[in-house]
Amino acid sequence: MKALWFHLMPYPELPEGFREDHRSVWVDIDPSLYDPAVGHRAYHDYLDELEHAAACGFDGICVNEHHSNAYGLMPSPNLMASALARSTDDAAIVVMGNSLALYNPPIRVAEEMAMIDGLSGGRLVAGFPVGTPMDTCFAYGMNPATLRERYHEAHDLVMQAWTADEPFAFNGTYTKLRYVNPWPRPMQDPHPPIWIPGGGSVETWEWCAEMDYVYSYLSYFGYKAGQATMKGFWDRMAALGREPNPFQAGFIQFVGVADTEAEARRLYREPAEYFFNRCLHLYPPFADPPGYRTEATVRAGVEGMVKQAADRAKAASGSSKPGASAGLSFDEMVDRGYVVIGTPTTVAEQLTEVATSLNVGNLMLLCQFGNMDRDLAMFNTDLVARKVLPEIRGLFTDEWEHRWWIKPMAADQRRSTTRTEVAR
Amino acid sequence: MTDPTSVVERRVVATSGGGTVTVFELGSGPILGVLHGTAGLDGPTAAMEDLAADHRVIAPCLPGFGSTPDEPSLRSIHDWVVALSEISDAAGITGAPWLASSISAMLALELAAIRPEAFASLVAVGPTGLWDADDPGTDLYAVSLGEQASLLAQNTSTLGVLAGDPDGLDGDELIEVGVSRYIRRRTAASLVWPLPDHGLAGRLHRVSAPVTLVWGADDRLVPPSYGERFAGLLPEATLAAPIAGAAHLAELDAPAEVAAIVRLRAPAGA
Repeated sequence: MKALWFHLMPYPELPEGFREDHRSVWVDIDPSLYDPAVGHRAYHDYLDELEHAAACGFDGICVNEHHSNAYGLMPSPNLMASALARSTDDAAIVVMGNSLALYNPPIRVAEEMAMIDGLSGGRLVAGFPVGTPMDTCFAYGMNPATLRERYHEAHDLVMQAWTADEPFAFNGTYTKLRYVNPWPRPMQDPHPPIWIPGGGSVETWEWCAEMDYVYSYLSYFGYKAGQATMKGFWDRMAALGREPNPFQAGFIQFVGVADTEAEARRLYREPAEYFFNRCLHLYPPFADPPGYRTEATVRAGVEGMVKQAADRAKAASGSSKPGASAGLSFDEMVDRGYVVIGTPTTVAEQLTEVATSLNVGNLMLLCQFGNMDRDLAMFNTDLVARKVLPEIRGLFTDEWEHRWWIKPMAADQRRSTTRTEVAR
Repeated sequence: MTDPTSVVERRVVATSGGGTVTVFELGSGPILGVLHGTAGLDGPTAAMEDLAADHRVIAPCLPGFGSTPDEPSLRSIHDWVVALSEISDAAGITGAPWLASSISAMLALELAAIRPEAFASLVAVGPTGLWDADDPGTDLYAVSLGEQASLLAQNTSTLGVLAGDPDGLDGDELIEVGVSRYIRRRTAASLVWPLPDHGLAGRLHRVSAPVTLVWGADDRLVPPSYGERFAGLLPEATLAAPIAGAAHLAELDAPAEVAAIVRLRAPAGA
């Protein structure tokens, strides 16, 4: 089992009445709610937390990309990843990832990821999400009808750029380049492992199965609600004659640990309610522009993760309009498995259930969520690392090989990242 | 004796580019080309039936708008204008008077900017294609599906056609209706995403045929104020009085009023 520590980097000071007074956390959120001083502190706290997770022994640390929102303050995950490449030594740096269609030309992704891979000594996992509809179609103006075609073309360009042994011309529909020859090249040969974050689109899991990529289901709603999607992925794998190697799948899970059940509920109630009732306060139309879902996904009746989030947020309040009510309760979040809360023993049991029931070998744990402060995030991370991970680490390792993991330089060949002390 | 307007021919024509489109034809008299709006085309509309009393109404369904399959190779406005030119020739409406609505009116104007003989005259209902940051109109794709339907039309029977569940269909058939509506929403959105401005303002001076601009008084997608903007950029434009009680797809909300305007511009006896 690989245990990864995932940071969404939420804006931590949305006001108390946010869901009543504002229609959406994404796209048209009130710019006056952003305080640069809060952002300054948050970025430093969040990098501290990621560095702490790496130091505690998590196998990887994860960052991702979102735009025009208070849900996650990382328009550029590569900036965060480059800082982490300098301040950590062994953990995989999992960029989950770059929304390929948003880069013009997309060769920029090949370049920046190669920089991170080189800087980190070959520790990059390259994630390529299509991107949420809020990010891609609304904040970045991508035409939903052509977004996926543009994404796949960008993917082909990046992969060709990483593997070609001489400069080449690329004559795509959306990108035309006479000379493709990115420098630097990735450290890992032939390229960093490719993980695809998905929100439930049928095509995404089919494509991962066909391309032999890791499918990472980024569900906000816990493993109980994730069963159908992961079953779809594994069914497709079986249809293609592929082995059900759990290391080809990832799953995200909110986790809060304390010495007693009661203490855990006391500590994590507020951050969980903040996340589900403010960070996921989505205006439903922003989650489902026409064309974002493919015809097959529409026909299958599958709705994307963010659309589900928007609908649940609206259902919880009865309305997305000002004057709406309180939202999802903490007890509901726990009962439904959205957040796994408890003692190290009970959390280890539940995470074992998550991993085995979904057959996922890469668990991406959210030990910071909502407005959880730095001290509590550090405490939670430390407890998970010391008392939970030892109980789940051995899962799958005897039976399966992780073919989608980083291949870093040997430690004795890597340039030390220890910074020179500056005399004051 | 059979009412000639009740005889609807539905045929599939091949375009010179290798595609096929479904065309509806009804009535007798001089040819009138009709291009549907955002909601697509499943058969003759009330305005088409009205006009068929003294015209041969020919209405092609553009790709991805219901009766003609989606065509993924149509990505840019240039692609669409070339496609419309070929569809016009295949349907036999090139050089005739046209009635076009919404996105089709935009495409008709784009086509006439490079092919002035595309139509003899045009009645354009709520054309998209211009953008005024001070008067942007409502974003159709930032409202719920129910609100979208009411922004397109406000006549309750029209709304039923746009958004209601057809009677007598089983589960699978209803899914296909839903998918078809999704595809036409996707296609319509692709023509105006993220903004409807593809540079038409710089080309409208090349449209030499007369254009009559018609607006639903309650059009909140492309506000009636855009009529003045189009009129100021077109060499020969007439701005009709906004039609009361009609939303964006005024030809669906007020078919008789729109048909009357078409007869003024394209009289059957002319």
